Amino acid sequence: MIVIALVSSILLSAGSLAFVFFETGFNSFGVWILIFGVAWLFALWRGWGWFSTIGLFLAVMVSAMGLWLRLAPGWIFAGAIFALAAWDLTDFRERMRFVAADDNARGMERRHLARLTLLSLAGLALASVTMILRVRFTIEWGALLVIVILLGLSQLVGWFRRQ
Amino acid sequence: MYRYVFLSALVYVLLLAGLVALRGEFVALAIPMLLFLFYGYWQAPEELNIEIQRLLSNDRTTADSEIVVTLTITNHGADIEELLLEDKPSPRLKIRLGSPRHLLRLAKGSSFTFAYTVAGPRGMYPFEKIHAVSTEPLGLIRREQLIHTDEKLTVFPGMTRLKSVAIHPHRTRVYAGMIPGRIGGTGTEFFGVREYQSGDSPRTINWHASARYPESLFSNEYQLERVADVGVVLDARVNANIFHSGRSLFEYSVMAAAALSDVFLSHGNRVGLLVYGSYLGWTLPGYGKIQRERIMRSLAGAEVGASSVFAGLQHLSPHMFPPESQIVLVSSLVNDDLEVLIQLRGRGYQVMVISPDPAGFERRLLPNSPNVELAERIIRMERGLLIRRIERAGIQVVGWDVSIPLDQAIGPILMRSRRSVFRRLP
Repeated sequence: MIVIALVSSILLSAGSLAFVFFETGFNSFGVWILIFGVAWLFALWRGWGWFSTIGLFLAVMVSAMGLWLRLAPGWIFAGAIFALAAWDLTDFRERMRFVAADDNARGMERRHLARLTLLSLAGLALASVTMILRVRFTIEWGALLVIVILLGLSQLVGWFRRQ
Repeated sequence: MYRYVFLSALVYVLLLAGLVALRGEFVALAIPMLLFLFYGYWQAPEELNIEIQRLLSNDRTTADSEIVVTLTITNHGADIEELLLEDKPSPRLKIRLGSPRHLLRLAKGSSFTFAYTVAGPRGMYPFEKIHAVSTEPLGLIRREQLIHTDEKLTVFPGMTRLKSVAIHPHRTRVYAGMIPGRIGGTGTEFFGVREYQSGDSPRTINWHASARYPESLFSNEYQLERVADVGVVLDARVNANIFHSGRSLFEYSVMAAAALSDVFLSHGNRVGLLVYGSYLGWTLPGYGKIQRERIMRSLAGAEVGASSVFAGLQHLSPHMFPPESQIVLVSSLVNDDLEVLIQLRGRGYQVMVISPDPAGFERRLLPNSPNVELAERIIRMERGLLIRRIERAGIQVVGWDVSIPLDQAIGPILMRSRRSVFRRLP
């Protein structure tokens, strides 16, 4: 069940991103995205769990580039969210290797998939609403964003110092 | 790196990009990841409050016997969505069945039990730590805890039983035993003849001797059998034990030391053990089953040690053994040992050497070639010469081809009395 969801997520992520680039004439870039998708699947087959982190990072960067180029945001968001799901499922699959035989593994998988689906849908919905509302940057909005970023960065720095 | 740090970094990069470019799309792209992060923080696990009990099916066993390790985990805290438990047995123990790692979902107040089976070679195996990691459902935030426990598994050396070992120390102890005490008295072995004394049983009268001296009567005297002090010295030096490709002769030496200690103790003797390796591992002399347990534990934990200080036997202090007692050295012997053994003999100790054959052992590890055969011949000649020199000093050396079980290879030799103590009439 998890493997099917994981492979589907990678395919949908790479497919959505490649499709939107093909559609707007960036054919060579679309081919590279497809190659990257195949590489992700190969890494999955080889059990290279670390590759999913690179996969998510690259998928988000490609999505950001797509948004920068003003490509269709629906496909872009779908690509990023499926990459996020694939990243999450890769780790979950790793953790599930240690599940006890008499623990309810199927139940754990079902609950996780349900949570992931809901979160992904909610994320997609919120992102879409944001795009529909066309949030425009005002001074106040920019200041709030700066504060949030500074708070976050200070947390990150604090975490690294603790390590 | 924790996953939430990576996700947070991605979110901040997107927010920063949105701020710099003044493009709301980047902020919108960050929203699904933000949602993940918020959910992770919301469901973040609390401080672990679990109790773990570990039960070993047997804490004393022999090599390669299976031991079932059972762990029972009780959650006294809040619900734990995902708890990864990892017991950390010694890497030398092989997992035969089950797994020491389990992923559980543990509700508040509930318990879970799992078991796995291990087996391993001789050694002491402490079970000291259990690693517990609890995560929220997305695996972003984790809490780790190292739970300390104090179970210990002792795998004793394999042991063959020897019927008896004939030893003749100069000095014995006062208690009755099975070692000829070199003192006349009641016993079973003939010791000498003395003049009849009032109270002697008529059965003890030596009629042949009495017939030679018509004026007197003579009685047979028998040798008192006593217990003795025996010091078993196990050679754990690297240069005497480790051979081609790191293969070790030490396990055989341990097996021999265990068998010898067992037979000496079962005959009532006072036995001590010295493991001579990177340090001096001394088990103080004692009697009986408790001493047997002490010695077996010491042998279970014995390891070959590399030390420049103890590379030779010169630190084998005779002060550790009662004067004129029996010393049994279990060693494959190296050339420099001759001098120390002669010194021990010179101080009045009865010394016996049980020597696993290193030439035969190493030969079996090497391919057939003229060079190997030549080397084997040279080594055998050197060893033969060394053993002859040691024997000339009055030390009994018993060689052991380790491909043959100990009781079959040297059991019959050890049972034979090397010489009889006999006192004639003046």
